Amino acid sequence: MRVMVIVKATPDTEAGVLPTQEAFAAMGSYGEELVKAGILLDGNGLKPSSTGVRIRMDGRNRSVIDGPFAETKELIAGYSLWEVRSMDEAIEWAKRFPNLTGETELEIRPVFEDEDFGEAATPELREQDDRLRAEAAKRKAELANRGA
Amino acid sequence: MRVMVFVKASPESEAGVMPSEELLNAMGDYNEELVKAGIMLAGDGLKPSSAGARVHFSGKSRTVIDGPFAETKELVAGYWLWQVRSMDEAIEWVKRCPNPMMSDSDIEIRPVFEPEDFGAEFTPERREQEERLRASIASQQA
Repeated sequence: MRVMVIVKATPDTEAGVLPTQEAFAAMGSYGEELVKAGILLDGNGLKPSSTGVRIRMDGRNRSVIDGPFAETKELIAGYSLWEVRSMDEAIEWAKRFPNLTGETELEIRPVFEDEDFGEAATPELREQDDRLRAEAAKRKAELANRGA
Repeated sequence: MRVMVFVKASPESEAGVMPSEELLNAMGDYNEELVKAGIMLAGDGLKPSSAGARVHFSGKSRTVIDGPFAETKELVAGYWLWQVRSMDEAIEWVKRCPNPMMSDSDIEIRPVFEPEDFGAEFTPERREQEERLRASIASQQA
């Protein structure tokens, strides 16, 4: 199963405090272990919500709300995508996340796979989904090779 | 620049109401446009928070809290990773997204940190390590 691991924001991440060399080293070693175990699929840090926006969809209306957003504890500071055998395995790995800021929270959320959608995911939709995922992955690899 | 685009949860998504075939079709068409424009890098839907867990870190202690979680409006129901030229371009694309929920909904766009954003603390060794790890993930997936 795939899970998304969401790193919640803290006052520091929202204030734009960047990780120290020590923090980068600890995250690097943790990433190294996840890759060796074949678990890590992707992962990124996000800039503070002051650089973000929200779009509210209300019927046909679309309104844009500029960051920062208030509820720091519920905001997202980073994520990674893992391939694991079970939620328990994900929780065990999450517990080993280097906690460098005193107080942090990770949220682990299973990802929907095609088979979870039942009959609403018609064969045509599944085929389209597979094709689009393959093209998106190819584009991602191209950009990574370019160092983008 | 890369951005994460988060679809926020709604009462229906948290209740496990699955998207209709009509919405899946509309999303399929939208994703098709994103791919054609070279914008889409990844995307998934997340199961309701009742299927999830949180690990709370306080100093050396680790506490596991099982879902569901209360603050529906702040939870995430899905995401995309996009490559765009600017936040304005990302906003224009989000405005064209079919409302992913039956009720009103929010979509949040957040720029991703790139190695050059981190300055000197992100040493050449770390940068090299990160590039190597990303390359080995890519070869594991190929």
